[in-house]
Amino acid sequence: MTMIDEGALSDALNEVASSFEISKDATDRILSEARTSAPPSRRFHAPDFVRQPGRGRTFLIAAVLVLVVGGITLPLFRGEGNPTKNALTVRGASPSTTIPGLAANGTSGVAGQKTLGAPTLSATNNPVTATGSGIKSAATNLSPRIESNGSVDLKVARGHIELALSKLSSLVTGDGGYVDSTQANVGSRAPGSFSYATIVLQVPQRTFATLVSQVQRVGHTSSVSTSSNDVTAQYVDLQARITALEASRQQYLLIMTRARSISDILAVQNQLNNLQSQIEQLQGQLNVLNHQTTYGSLTVMLTEAGHSSNTPHHRSGVAKAWHGAVSGFVAGFEWLVRVSGPTLFAVLMLGALWFIGRFARRAYQRRRL
Amino acid sequence: MEGSTDVNDLEGWLAESYPQSVRTAYLILGNRLDAEDAVQEAFLRAWKFRDSLSQGSSFKPWLYRVVVNTCNSKLRQEIPHRDLRSSDDGLAEVSVRDDVPTRIALSNDVRSALKDLPVDLRVVVVLRYYADLSEREIAIAIGRKQGTVKSRLHEARRRLAMHPALQSETSKLSTSNEEVTG
Repeated sequence: MTMIDEGALSDALNEVASSFEISKDATDRILSEARTSAPPSRRFHAPDFVRQPGRGRTFLIAAVLVLVVGGITLPLFRGEGNPTKNALTVRGASPSTTIPGLAANGTSGVAGQKTLGAPTLSATNNPVTATGSGIKSAATNLSPRIESNGSVDLKVARGHIELALSKLSSLVTGDGGYVDSTQANVGSRAPGSFSYATIVLQVPQRTFATLVSQVQRVGHTSSVSTSSNDVTAQYVDLQARITALEASRQQYLLIMTRARSISDILAVQNQLNNLQSQIEQLQGQLNVLNHQTTYGSLTVMLTEAGHSSNTPHHRSGVAKAWHGAVSGFVAGFEWLVRVSGPTLFAVLMLGALWFIGRFARRAYQRRRL
Repeated sequence: MEGSTDVNDLEGWLAESYPQSVRTAYLILGNRLDAEDAVQEAFLRAWKFRDSLSQGSSFKPWLYRVVVNTCNSKLRQEIPHRDLRSSDDGLAEVSVRDDVPTRIALSNDVRSALKDLPVDLRVVVVLRYYADLSEREIAIAIGRKQGTVKSRLHEARRRLAMHPALQSETSKLSTSNEEVTG
């Protein structure tokens, strides 16, 4: 490769550099300015092992980076692994969250369905429809709001479905509860024909556990499941939002009394309509929540003995192991996906810190001079 | 500039290092007035922060580092944002003392080639072949590793050799063929 000769280059540069005279005034100016300037600063200097490149400094920087990134990302990983964090929202779904009794009494018109009489929610023992003072008093009551749901599969003797339904109805009506809906399919006497029914019972929360045990005595229980969900936070949040909106509405009503022009009145009216709409919407949600936490819902499925149930058959050991393996694989993959976010974040943080550190190091070195 | 310079003697600094620093800055910046400004600022900064020269460190590369940093910040911050100074002060236009025509032509060619080099290459060339700093001292002066200095010098010499001005007949700079290793 063709290269320029070093000696010749040096000579040429000397030639170029010495092409002008250096003025003496410049050095005098520097001297006078240096004398008038502040005395040399006694700045903080980092210890030598920080300034000098080497293992010590590398180790120190690495330790600081690990601490910073670890401190940031560890809580993220912990948060991901905590199953109780999202429990409140996860458990919110319930098969009986729709309450037919709130919208209409009894059941919809499905063939073969018969209504055994569910009281409307405007009954005296139902606080849901109470407005105004009822809501305010509830807002001050910070006792936990728990919604309870459950289902029981019962087998009864052949031809005893209607009797069982009647027994179940009597269990709830005597204790402030009611039958929410009933669906029954009465089979013929022919062999292979079976009757079955589903009844949804609503009882006050305090008697829910009692009801579950009483229901199990009506027939042969094949399965029972119950769940409880604490919705206090959601409840309080709704109440607070309603209270705030009502306060706003009061303000607008006050403004309305002072409005003189048509345009002002219309504008305020528009705002009031919006607020009213929001309040009613939230009120509806609160009513639903209130009902869910006031009443426990128990769905009872009745089948006649001899009728095959839908309960899953018990798996063999190998099938169970296979199922466990698949579940484990899926769980592992889910974990991998879940931690990829914090990991990516940690990598980005490390990269950013590296760039900042490099930039700061160079700036520091420049500033030192 | 010697390594034995008394750090607390500004007059000694100036007597010993000022002329060469100005000429170095001139080669880097390509303008005499800018060079004088930069070196004045660099000397004042160096004087102010002379405590930062750690024990056992060599004075010469340290001072050159201040000068190079000041030149770099001038090139980065001031010079690109203003109209070019009078062309009389430019590298290519400075009158040459020497009255030998071939040497004038040679100097002009070198100036032109130097001006076309990227700043980082120009700095190492000037520090090596004008200020006569070793590669290690240049590494300290520009805050880079010695290997970087070596590769920059190599690249700079290659580019200079390829420059049209230095390939013309008026250029009397001899060139050599070197095998590139690594």
